[in-house]
Amino acid sequence: MQESVDTILQGIKWIIPEIILATAFLVILVIGLIKRGNSLVKGLTIIVFAGVFILVASDLYTTSPIVFGMLRVESVSSFIKLLLNFSALFTCLISTRVKEHLSEYFAFLIAIVLGAHLLTMTSNFLMIFISIEIISISSYVLAGYAFDKKGAEGSLKYFLFGSVSAAVMLYGFTFLYGLTGTIDFANQTFTSALLDSQNALAYLSIFFVFAGFLFKISSSPMHFWAPDVYNAAPAPVVAFFSTVPKLAGLVVFVKFLLAINLFGQTSLNWQLYLAAIAIATITVGNFAALKQNSVKRMMAYSSIAQAGFLMIGLIVFLPQGIHFFLFYATAFVIGNLLVFLYINSFENGGTTTIAEYAGFGRTFAIPIVFLLIGLVSLTGLPPTAGFTAKLFLFSSVWTAFEQQGHTILMVLLIVGLLNTVVSLFYYLRIPYYAFLKDGKPAFSHNILHFENFLGAFLVVMLLILFFQPGLLMSWINKINFVL
Amino acid sequence: MIDTLTMMILLGAFLFTTGVVIIVTKKNAIMMLLGIELMLNASNINLVAFNQSHPATIDGQMFAIFVILVAVCETAIGLALVLRVYQYYQTSVPDELNELKG
Repeated sequence: MQESVDTILQGIKWIIPEIILATAFLVILVIGLIKRGNSLVKGLTIIVFAGVFILVASDLYTTSPIVFGMLRVESVSSFIKLLLNFSALFTCLISTRVKEHLSEYFAFLIAIVLGAHLLTMTSNFLMIFISIEIISISSYVLAGYAFDKKGAEGSLKYFLFGSVSAAVMLYGFTFLYGLTGTIDFANQTFTSALLDSQNALAYLSIFFVFAGFLFKISSSPMHFWAPDVYNAAPAPVVAFFSTVPKLAGLVVFVKFLLAINLFGQTSLNWQLYLAAIAIATITVGNFAALKQNSVKRMMAYSSIAQAGFLMIGLIVFLPQGIHFFLFYATAFVIGNLLVFLYINSFENGGTTTIAEYAGFGRTFAIPIVFLLIGLVSLTGLPPTAGFTAKLFLFSSVWTAFEQQGHTILMVLLIVGLLNTVVSLFYYLRIPYYAFLKDGKPAFSHNILHFENFLGAFLVVMLLILFFQPGLLMSWINKINFVL
Repeated sequence: MIDTLTMMILLGAFLFTTGVVIIVTKKNAIMMLLGIELMLNASNINLVAFNQSHPATIDGQMFAIFVILVAVCETAIGLALVLRVYQYYQTSVPDELNELKG
């Protein structure tokens, strides 16, 4: 008894960021109960996210023993945690329009970040299920935070889709537990037992588990919820949804993939299926985005396509694949936040469709130029970080093709490159309307100083990552990924 | 004669399939909630049954308890969302909600 108490007490020092988040969640809820509409909660949430960011950054390369048998602190999850807290902090800064139920709003943001933290740190089926549900249940509520007809519809559809995919994933977990006798997939028992039972049941249950993960990263064929939810939710929430749950889901997905790949001894070629999923995701996302009129709907399909690109880093099954995935994730988070920063401020003025951006280039010169830089980075053109990130990813696919010789990797490379060209057409539609079409903005108050300050910060980061990618890569290269 | 484990797995599979069929065929959101509940309970049966063949730990039974807990939270949120949709649309059939088109 005394022994297990000691182990638990020793483990606590590894999960201080998570404890801070959990405490802050409760404190903010209580503040909301005492005093409604308190603006104190926003400041408190920003301080919490900034504090957790600094705490994680100060201890980036430590690898802990397994905490409570459930969680494990290692450098990949710490790096992703930085990105999670960065985009959460940013979401708080741009959530100016939310007026109702303020404390619940920030409490749910903290809960999602807490769930995402736990999801990146675990390799335990029980913990994965609980953290995915923490993220999902809070997301269902946040999706309806516009408090209108659309919001209610979006969150109900999100809920039905999400619960079904979580239930399917759980059913897959139970069979993997039955086959291997352990609920920890990083465990030696799991890999050796799975190696002995390479049968249809094991494959089917792994595909069931994929359903849950693919839903969280909004990848095809589980992407149908994304456009509706993104369209209905407020813009800051969309910025949050398109980064935080996606990255956390990808980290646990890569761990699971390494476990089921059984060091290359599996009899089923997982790379083939995953590459097919990535190709479908990129193609569906990009081509559906072409014919959208609503800005947020277009960005929803764009984030589906980006999920496909992010998956490429996992599919190559190379150590540098993980590094390039982390670089791409950083570029994607910064570019995406930059775009949503301005989509949010223009939406506050009533602009929601692409055609309504006509003539904005004259009134809002600096915002549209910054928006253009963000969109160019998402497309993957120089001189932005997106170009470097895509270059790294595609070069890793090429290396993997040379080493492993699978044709599917060549197809993936070609489809990825062609889709980059396709994405140019829809990403540049907003700047096209803003600069080349005549029109008058529906609102003219040109006071976006705060947004421009934040935007300039992000633009500088995008440019620095293009001209000096070594700064970040030397950081990332020190990350040692072990299951 | 089938042994108990197989029977339990078959029961779980039956519940899971029933849940999926309900979700696909029924149009009402509350019926879909019932279907989701059946799917989660199928997993619970599996977990507890598989625990009998791996008796060294009680991982499966622990897992089942957590699943029950999460299922309750999910149903609470789900019913709240259905209620709100009903306030706006006077219906709880997801197919009849058509504000979001694209």
